[in-house]
Amino acid sequence: MAEDIFLGDDFLRQLMSVGEADLLVAVPSYNNAGTIGQTVQAIEESYQRSFVRDRVVILNVDGGSSDHTTDVVVNMNGRKSGPHRGLTSLRTVHRVATQYAKSPSQGMALRTILATVDLLRARSCAIVSPATTNLDASWIANLLRPAYRQEFDFVAPLYARSKNQGLLARNLLYPMSRAVFGQRIREMYSEEWGFSGRLAAQCLSQNVWNVEAIRERPEAWMAITAISSGMKCCQSFLGPKAPPAAGTGPNFVEAVRQTVGNLFWCLENFQGFWLDRKGSASVATFGPEHELTAEEKAPSRKQFFEMFQKGVSELEPILATILAPDTHAQVKRIAELDPSKFRFGPELWVKTLYEFAASYHRSVINRDHMVQALVPLCRGQMYSFFLEHADSSAEEIEANSEAVCLEFERQKAYLIERWKAKS
Amino acid sequence: MKAMIIQGLQQAYQNLFHMLAEFLPRFVVMLVIIVTGLLVAYVLKHSLRALLHLTRLDRLSEEAGASRMLRMAALPSMTEVLSRSIFWITVLGSILVGISVLNIAGLQEQIARILRLLPEIVVAMVILFLGLVIANFLSRAALLAAVNAGYASPKTLSWSIRFVIWMLAISMALEELGVARQTVIAAFSIVFGASMLGLAIAFGLGGQNLAREFLEKNLGEGKKEKTEEPQPL
Repeated sequence: MAEDIFLGDDFLRQLMSVGEADLLVAVPSYNNAGTIGQTVQAIEESYQRSFVRDRVVILNVDGGSSDHTTDVVVNMNGRKSGPHRGLTSLRTVHRVATQYAKSPSQGMALRTILATVDLLRARSCAIVSPATTNLDASWIANLLRPAYRQEFDFVAPLYARSKNQGLLARNLLYPMSRAVFGQRIREMYSEEWGFSGRLAAQCLSQNVWNVEAIRERPEAWMAITAISSGMKCCQSFLGPKAPPAAGTGPNFVEAVRQTVGNLFWCLENFQGFWLDRKGSASVATFGPEHELTAEEKAPSRKQFFEMFQKGVSELEPILATILAPDTHAQVKRIAELDPSKFRFGPELWVKTLYEFAASYHRSVINRDHMVQALVPLCRGQMYSFFLEHADSSAEEIEANSEAVCLEFERQKAYLIERWKAKS
Repeated sequence: MKAMIIQGLQQAYQNLFHMLAEFLPRFVVMLVIIVTGLLVAYVLKHSLRALLHLTRLDRLSEEAGASRMLRMAALPSMTEVLSRSIFWITVLGSILVGISVLNIAGLQEQIARILRLLPEIVVAMVILFLGLVIANFLSRAALLAAVNAGYASPKTLSWSIRFVIWMLAISMALEELGVARQTVIAAFSIVFGASMLGLAIAFGLGGQNLAREFLEKNLGEGKKEKTEEPQPL
């Protein structure tokens, strides 16, 4: 098998001792010794509560930690007590661990996980992040069950968020991926998701592992592979998503580079699938589809507007090569508005993004530079959102989100026109 | 005495007339060659452009990734680069041929030398082209990084990087041509050193507050501000 080539001998020996498995939960790690114990406990608890009779495995794939993260996973004691005392798995909960590289890469971690799922013939797999501090046993069960019991192939998470959280996902990634690929999956870019053994085998056979966009954020590619192959996708509600500890998560610029860069790459590589598709369809959802929590602290708004203004003026020659003259003129016009009257409306926002996507397709400048040039505009759009929805209720936020999605769908013809234009 | 002066003046006048009689026809020939060269260059440029459009060279160049390199260097399309190059090579060639018609001893030698230097000139041009590409790429990367990080003068940073790489490329090209090697190295060291010293002094003295703000933002308490951005995903 091709998997044998990149899996180490020691790791293959561990897998041979496991044999076959029904369920697998994978934890990609990099210097997470402080939190990974809690994650493994939550997984074991989930196995003991919800999958007592099934053959289960916990897999840790490590990106070269220097704090002995893997040792914590392998050597920690199994859960002896807890709220479900007396109920224990009838089978051994296997723990296997491997180091896939000397430096972390989400894509390489996923490749190792997929190869393991394939070798163990697991029917359902969930990936969870050790950096998620509020992960609990129910999250694991909610990610594993749809692929295990209901024949779904891709399980996206759904989180309860505060209204200013996840704005990149809400105003760009979700509406654009929904309009383009035609499936209403809210959280394609997440650190937790589930999938079937069938999808794992399909993804593993593809030669994308050296692509930068996949090495950094492979999860949406997996979802889009499932959509484009006609596999069944669903969403499963997990609960509130706690923000990562300070300094651990990607900053805003990195998040845009990784996710938007990946989305544009997927647009390029799945164009045969989406160019003729119209509209969008909802997917099966387990639990509430959206839930807003109370806002803890309002973000610093002024800084966003200043960075937008500065970006538009300093990056003028770059934006001129990416945007159509009319769109560029409109962006420059709103950058001159009084901060209190500023509005980056959905029509202009969608047009701007579609022009960026088409320019990415034509490689008018270096593609990573192009995605970076989008960062100030994202900040401007976020500032506009803060202004407009300072006092909005959860229903109003959801209505706005739906309006943005519909605008993306309405203007899809414009994206196709720009996409197919010769220059 | 008077007769001698008149004879001397007559001699000088005759010499001047003789020189002009010899030089002017050559000069006219030179002008004709240059003007003809310009016309030929113009025709060649347009013919080549039309031919390359027909052969869809730009599409091939796009597929091969060469167009991306040209765009990185803020240069026009491959067709345009080639047609403009042929124009300037023809113009330069006609100027050299035209000058050689003048039969000026020193110039003849220099022209022969230029022709001998042709391979080095090509290498120097490649160095300059690569320098231009790298300078544009890195200066744009620096501009984007500085704008997105909220630094005070992104354009200054971007232009400084572009300037340093240009200086390096120009000095490497001149070094390849063997033009006043010692002078080029000394000039580069002086200009580069002076630029760095100037920037250090400007940043340290002229921009004390900016320097403090920069260091505080990146190394000190101010670093915490970065985490105030709401969670994007």
